[in-house]
Amino acid sequence: MSTDLVSRQCYRLLGRLVIYGGLVVLAAFYLMPLWVMAVTSLKSLDEIYGGSFIDFPKLVTFDAWAKAWGTACIGTVCDGLKPYFLNSILMVVPAVILSTAAGAMNGYILSKWRFRGANIVFGLLLFGCFLPFQVVLLPMAQLLGRLGIAGTIPGLIFVHTVYGITFTTMFFRNYFVTIPDELIKAALIDGAGFFRIFFSIMLPAALPIIVVSCIWQFTQIWNDFLFGVSFTSGEASPITVALNNIVNVTMGRKQYNVDMAAAMIAAMPTLVVYVVAGRYFVRGLTAGSVKG
Amino acid sequence: MSRSIPVKDRIGHFLPKLVLSPSLVFVFVGVYIFIAWTIWISLSSSRMLPKYDFVGLAQYVRLWSTPRWHTAVENLFIFTSLFLIVTILLGLFLAILLDQKVRAEGLLRAIYLYPMALSFIVTGTAWKWILNPSLGIQEVVNNLGWESFAFDWITSPTFAIYCVVIAAVWQSTGFAMAIFLAGLRGIDSSIIKAAQIEGAGLPRIYASIIVPMLRPAFLSVVVLLSYISIKSFDLVLALTNGGPGSSTEMPSTFMFTSTFRRDQMGVGAASAVMMLMTVAAIIVPYLYSELKEGGHEH
Amino acid sequence: MKFKNILLATTVALSMSIPAFAESEVEGIHHWVAESEVEALKVIIDNLSKEGFTWKDSAVGGMSGGNATQALRTRLAAGNPPATMQLLGFEGINWAKEGALQSLNDLYTENGWVDAVPPQIERFLKADGNYFSVPINMHRQNWIWANKAVFDEYDIAIPKTWNELIVSAKKLKKAGVTPIALSDENWQVLEMFEAIVAGQGGADFYKTAIVGLDEEALKSDTMIKAFDTLREIKGLVGENITGRDWAVATSMVASGEAAIQLMGDWAKGEFLAKGMRPGEDFLCFPAPSKTPNFTFIIDAFGMFKTDDANVKAGQVAWAKAIMDPEVQAQFNMIKGSIPARVDVSVENFDACAQQGYADREHAIEEGTLIPGLTEGFAVSPEFAGVFSDVVAQFFVTEMSSEDAVIALVAGINNAR
Repeated sequence: MSTDLVSRQCYRLLGRLVIYGGLVVLAAFYLMPLWVMAVTSLKSLDEIYGGSFIDFPKLVTFDAWAKAWGTACIGTVCDGLKPYFLNSILMVVPAVILSTAAGAMNGYILSKWRFRGANIVFGLLLFGCFLPFQVVLLPMAQLLGRLGIAGTIPGLIFVHTVYGITFTTMFFRNYFVTIPDELIKAALIDGAGFFRIFFSIMLPAALPIIVVSCIWQFTQIWNDFLFGVSFTSGEASPITVALNNIVNVTMGRKQYNVDMAAAMIAAMPTLVVYVVAGRYFVRGLTAGSVKG
Repeated sequence: MSRSIPVKDRIGHFLPKLVLSPSLVFVFVGVYIFIAWTIWISLSSSRMLPKYDFVGLAQYVRLWSTPRWHTAVENLFIFTSLFLIVTILLGLFLAILLDQKVRAEGLLRAIYLYPMALSFIVTGTAWKWILNPSLGIQEVVNNLGWESFAFDWITSPTFAIYCVVIAAVWQSTGFAMAIFLAGLRGIDSSIIKAAQIEGAGLPRIYASIIVPMLRPAFLSVVVLLSYISIKSFDLVLALTNGGPGSSTEMPSTFMFTSTFRRDQMGVGAASAVMMLMTVAAIIVPYLYSELKEGGHEH
Repeated sequence: MKFKNILLATTVALSMSIPAFAESEVEGIHHWVAESEVEALKVIIDNLSKEGFTWKDSAVGGMSGGNATQALRTRLAAGNPPATMQLLGFEGINWAKEGALQSLNDLYTENGWVDAVPPQIERFLKADGNYFSVPINMHRQNWIWANKAVFDEYDIAIPKTWNELIVSAKKLKKAGVTPIALSDENWQVLEMFEAIVAGQGGADFYKTAIVGLDEEALKSDTMIKAFDTLREIKGLVGENITGRDWAVATSMVASGEAAIQLMGDWAKGEFLAKGMRPGEDFLCFPAPSKTPNFTFIIDAFGMFKTDDANVKAGQVAWAKAIMDPEVQAQFNMIKGSIPARVDVSVENFDACAQQGYADREHAIEEGTLIPGLTEGFAVSPEFAGVFSDVVAQFFVTEMSSEDAVIALVAGINNAR
């Protein structure tokens, strides 16, 4: 009896050891690139060219960060990443709001106001998620030119909203499907209309999926490079394009410490979003979007 | 459909459609009109700029006589299958570990999830160094004393594609984990307790009871990961730029290079059409079955 | 509806916050983002501002100018071209044929520019009888950079043939020095290959096989031999070459870890930045060759058509600034290249640039000023891509030279 208990405890202990061991080893693997970026950004250029890449800096300096943020040059413009950071905010906030709002509305209609062919419409929208975006660059450029928003931040907002809607619609439609139709019926009987039901019943219940949709869209749009480099140039560029311009030096000496600091600055907002809102992300997924 | 809400007489059936239509129009143009345009270009002799003539399937013939395209197609299969399998297994493993009421769960989850937040424009250089035998893992391990240790896949035309897989797995596992974790949290814990009382060990409980219950989570993970793998573009560009040689070329990079770097827009469009057909072959049956089920449920 | 309104409102609000084209502004897309490149660019801009125009910088870096090219294409598709653009290789020719670029014939004749540029580069400045771009500089690609101390220590002479180079390299390898600093990056390998082809085959063979894409020449023994030589070179580049940055390779030569590097003249800046002096600390000499080859790359700016008189005036000022002999001298001293104009004094240039300038004069006379393959001046991109694919694949695998030539011919024919 007692030996059984001991072996059971041993077994438990071993189990915990495996669990924590696995978690810690994998955590180290996941943190590796971040570590490399962080230590490199804190080194002087001489130390890096002296052959030290992964080691901890001998002398910690924040010069590279200051330069990346405020004085690094892109062509002849030496304002660092600062102005482009602002561009990205100006782009990402409206685009996330618009695509999430449209996705919520679409999801609501496609799940609760089904019409003939609603499923086909949804299927067509979903297929749009898988479109390789390289395909659309030229025709989209022509469209933006016709709309008069080529080369501007509103143009980028437009593009991101259009291609974001496919995803957000999927999120919301799959979430709203789980809300019982009876709720809607009852509201209709009480005299609530199309918009009333949306705003007072669906939206309040949709908080978890709104978070998922916003995080997803924020990350996708903030990190986009392809649309940014194709549809803007110069002072309207988003931060990823600016980052590329700082990092991708062809015929000159690479300033690895500034590159890494710039990369980390560019990544900061999405990192913060994931770390702060990560728990809500998982919670939102739990709440129903898990149904592909 | 028959069970949907009888509202048509009350509000009129035009309002929902009206609200839906603007975004539908934009998506329709942005997706389907542009796909049609691409198909058209793939049948033309376009080089640097679109040219609206007709040359039949000449560009497809040219595409399939390009060795680099064959490499790209092969790589897509290697990459997608390995990436899906490893990411799903590792993501599931992490989710199960995290579900064991561990300490600092929030921190660990954030660590696994953060790569999802970063673009490869950001992490590409760091990964290049890590995988580089003279700077990264190999060098560190060698310096620790294990001098015969070799990890130089990135230099090999045969193995470099696996490096791309490693980086891709790194980026996406957190996402798979989050979805699985969500699925696990949705499972009634009394099921586990009941099985434990019957004497089953945890590994067996997971293998035979819990994991099968995660079917919906598996489906969404597969769909989202396929999306990521087909679109893997900046990953390859940042990590290997298609090299060594052209050994890590992927359809997405092939298409981009042809269209924008080599003035072969027709070939690029043809490769895009091939990609879209592949996607359709996978997604359409999935959509069909999913939506049919959905229709029955409600 | 709501969605559309919000979009419209944001669009209006944001487009007001972005200033419209200010007067007398010249917007240019270019891919000069390295510090020395930007310093050089500022020379032209200073000259431009003397004429009362401001420069609006739209730099797009990366992919050896590929990202900038892509940005240009989408902007033209949108009907929103910049005033001027740095044009690489065949890009300018194509746009000129599409009718997107202004004719600069009047400027060329009025200012006597026609005779100021080497006739061999006219192909990249003129199409259908119209000059469409102005060149600021000329890079030479087939330079070899060497560490003088290493050469002295092991008693190495400047090689006159590829055989000599390989013999010396083997000697260095035995002595424990990395003979040749190279990377497996496709473009670096291709630079080596084109230098071998031009060197072993001579300028005429290069013109037939590479520029002319003649099938017989592509299949010839000279081509097979070039691949053989590249295979030998591969055994002499040391270990861990994957993804090695060209500047890192240059540092290896500078520090004496490696003996030589074959690279365009932009590598010179790396030596100068370390305080090394040409002829004393490092050597520059042309890659071995039968004929006095000078493989060139130029940076030229084209002017896009516009109806805006202000922009037009700015474009004229920009073209004049670029072609100003003093600007060309200043610009190229910083950039490491030599003036595109053949009538600029290079007295104040360093010894390597002076040699390059003299070599070019000689090459113009001999007809051995040949366009660089790697940077896209020898053939249009679809063919250059095939060369890059085959040569890089050959370099990283065990492919035989015969198979490489077969793949090359098949690839070229497929791209025709």
